[in-house]
Amino acid sequence: MNNRSFLTVPLLPTAWKKFAFLFFPLPILLVIGLAFSNPDTEPNEAAQIIYGFWAIGFGILNLTREKVEDEMIQSFRLQAFQTGFFWLIWGLGALMLINYLRFDRLTSEMFTAYLVLFLLNLYIYAAFQVQVYQSKKEN
Amino acid sequence: MKNTIKIERARYNLTQQDLADKVAVSRQTINSIEAGKYVPSTVLALKIAKVFELPVEAVFQLEDLDFE
Repeated sequence: MNNRSFLTVPLLPTAWKKFAFLFFPLPILLVIGLAFSNPDTEPNEAAQIIYGFWAIGFGILNLTREKVEDEMIQSFRLQAFQTGFFWLIWGLGALMLINYLRFDRLTSEMFTAYLVLFLLNLYIYAAFQVQVYQSKKEN
Repeated sequence: MKNTIKIERARYNLTQQDLADKVAVSRQTINSIEAGKYVPSTVLALKIAKVFELPVEAVFQLEDLDFE
């Protein structure tokens, strides 16, 4: 059955996973380098660099094919995106509540697109890996 | 949904990997279906039934839980 359409998401080849993992240590080295070259760098700015790189890393991992990309993996992927979005809403809600309790306001400079993208991609990746782990567990 | 894949595999002397190769999925997928952890699509269920030369309802059966 052919169900290809403009809604189909093209996935990256499996080899891209190795490339994605480069994005995790890279911003830490970059931030350390920045701290040495410019000691006035704000911690929030450094955090945004890390969130941005990690968001890209998890984004690539989420859009990379598994070795066998069969219907079960596709259903896990679909569930992971739904669960990841659900966790993001609750996670952001919790962060806003913590911020409100600590600083008496719901919003904060730390709530940036980088943080949201990082959390979303992290939750999607986690939800996917949990399902893969559960399927691999022996009966 | 319960199934008789394990019994049919034994009848045909097939490993999970053999069956997985025949229906173009991973061994984990066959393992998850056998264990009732994953419900296959209609297409995959038909493919599995075809390997065992049986109608799909002989391999996959609904349980009371499926009607809740």
